[in-house]
This record gives sequence, structure tokens and C-alpha cells, in this order.
Amino acid sequence: MLYRWTRDLHLYIGLFISPFLLLFAISVFFLNHAKVQPDRWSEQRTVSRLDVPADIGTRKGTAAVEAARAIAVRAGIDGEIGFTRVVRDTNHFVFPVSKPGREASIDVDVAARTASISTRPTSLLESLAYLHKMPGPHNADIRGNWMPTRLWRGAADLTIYLTLFVTITGVVLWWALRAERRVGLVLLSLGTVSLVACIHVLLH
Amino acid sequence: MSSFTRNAEAWNRRLHFYLGLYFLLFLWLFSLTGLLLNHGRWAVSLAANARTESRYERHVDLPAAGTDIDRARTLMDQLGLIGEIDLPAQQPGVLAFNVSRPSDSSQVRVNLQTGVAAVQHFENGHLGRFRILHTFSGSRYNQPATERDWMVTKVWVFAMDALAAGLIAMVAGSYYMWWQMKNRRGAGLLSLAIGAVLCAWFVSGVFPRG
Repeated sequence: MLYRWTRDLHLYIGLFISPFLLLFAISVFFLNHAKVQPDRWSEQRTVSRLDVPADIGTRKGTAAVEAARAIAVRAGIDGEIGFTRVVRDTNHFVFPVSKPGREASIDVDVAARTASISTRPTSLLESLAYLHKMPGPHNADIRGNWMPTRLWRGAADLTIYLTLFVTITGVVLWWALRAERRVGLVLLSLGTVSLVACIHVLLH
Repeated sequence: MSSFTRNAEAWNRRLHFYLGLYFLLFLWLFSLTGLLLNHGRWAVSLAANARTESRYERHVDLPAAGTDIDRARTLMDQLGLIGEIDLPAQQPGVLAFNVSRPSDSSQVRVNLQTGVAAVQHFENGHLGRFRILHTFSGSRYNQPATERDWMVTKVWVFAMDALAAGLIAMVAGSYYMWWQMKNRRGAGLLSLAIGAVLCAWFVSGVFPRG
């Protein structure tokens, strides 16, 4: 009974997370081997008569992201705001906005109340890589400033927890196959030794 | 069912758990480090950010010729640095390069007139070293100039690729095994469809504005 439950949960949960596992696995090849020119914009346009807060140059963190969000919405651009930057010399406010399928850079001329919007579409593989990296460890205080990024964080977490569950049930199911224990133990040991050897060389 | 098909099915099943067992600890490593990367504000993630910094200057023998990478390699030998080289934007009169590996990283700025190398060295803590294993590939796809040039990184990237290929093979094999279980096709299809739709929704990038 317990074996059957374990096998069914392994099967159904494994099937549920399999598209996410494929996403993470396929994007590994892109992240490790692909090269793209991120600043080759395919479309550029200007938006004028923006409402730019007077204190935009001094805003930091979530307050700066809030101002950037309002400008992005006015420009018809949605996505995760990567960071915000004030260029003091030229009085510009610059920020990137990304989502799967599109990358944008918004350069606001604060005095003129105009923004130059540069966008480029991203390929399917680059979109997978983008999701693989999101939300990521950088700019943790502002990361997840777009609702879908927060949802994706939840989905990625769920994939991890369910992967751990599926691997544990997988080990239980393997152990139940007495005839396969020996070969399995050899492979488990080989995998452990490979990992330990890799980490040892990387760290020393 | 022919004996060939029976044999192929048995091997597909074996391959599923053989690969799973071989890559088990790799998968756990990338799962746990993935959680740390996903949650930059967790206490354990903040602890992983901790690193010790030191600075020093040293006279070096300037390499006569060669590319920036070649010259950086020669200087690394003199300074006793090991790891993956990264060349940031260069300033006139200065050779700048960074050297990194999971345990530590150094930012080196060599004054080409005086032959003085200014080194800013960062030593990662245990948690930081553990977390960086997830991302340590020596190359960034959105920085075309970066190339991996340290043999150890190449081996680690091969291990990452092998894990990814192993996962794809396991998932493909599991689809076949599931489809052979006729009484579980319906529930399995529902489970797979929910996962696929949810995943496709994120990939599409089409979300209601709000």
C-alpha cells in the first residue's frame, strides 16, 4: 500500500514538475555556452510629457523602483526592473526592464521629461535562461518588483521542493528493488565521489 | 511485445534510476543553492554574502608582449593567483583584470608605468563558496567578451551540462514509462498538463497588466 502510494506520488508529482525541470535543464546549455549582444536594440522610440517626480535623483531602493514603474507603465513597458541609476552629469534616470521574450532599457531625461525606450525581443532559449536566473541574488531589496517575478519565485521554489521529494521517493523505490541495489549503490557512490572531487578541485 | 521492446523498456527503466542515483547529490546541491539564490534576503543567504577583504600592493615584472589575457596570466603567476580571468573595461596606462574561483576573488590593477600591482582580495565564507557553485561557469551569455579559460571551470561546466543532459534523458524516459501504464494515463496527463500550462504561461511572458 505504502509502496503504491510512493510510486504514484513519484509519478504524478514528477510529471507535474517535468516541464519546469526541462526548462531548467535546457537553459543550462544556453547559460553555459551561448553568447548574445544585449545592447543591440531592435526598436527605439521616445515618450514625452512624462510625470517625473522632482526628487527622482535622490530616491533609492523601492522608492526609485516605484518612480521607474510609473514611467515604464506610461511607456507601455511591463516587466521586472533590474536596477535604477542616476547619471548626475546629464541628469538622466536610467533603468532596464525585462521579462521573458523582451528586454528594454529606459533612459529618462529628467529635465526634458522625455524617455528614450530601447527594446529587443529575446529568443525562446534566452527567455528560458532569463527565468532560470530569476529572481537571483542581486539587488535583493528590490527584486520581485513585478508580480510575475514573485509568482515565478514561488514556482521555482515549488519545483525545488518537489524535486527533493521526487528524488527521495525515487531512492525509496529503487531500494525496494533488491536486484538493483548493488548497481545502484555503485552508481550512487560514483556520483558522490565525482561531486566531491569536483568541489575539492574547485575550492583548493 | 517483442523481446527487443521488452529489453528496451527494461533498460529505459534502469537508465531512469541509474542516472537518478548517479546525479542525486548533484541535484541536491543545485536545488539547495537554487533556494539560496532565489531568496537573497533569507538570513542564510545574507550570511553567504559575508566575505573578508584585504588589499596589498606588489612590484611585478611587466610582460613584454601578448594579449591582455596572456599578460594577465603571467602576472597571476607572479602574484600567486589562481582562477578564472575576467577583463573589465581597460583604462589607459593600467592593465585591469579580475581572477575568481569559488573560494576567493581578486581585482588586480597593474600600473604599466611603475609596475605596481594593486590587488583587492576577497575571501568567501563557506556558505558563499557553496552558493557560488551554482553559478560558477566562467562565462556570461550576455557578456560576449567573457571566455572560460581555467581548466577546473571547464570540468565543472562539463558536470553541469552532464547533469542537464541526464535530467532531460530521465524526463524523456519517464514519459515513456508513464505512457506504458495505461491505467495511469488519465491522471498523469492531467498532472503533466497542469505543469506544462503553468510553465508555458511563465515562458510566454504574457501577463495581465496591473
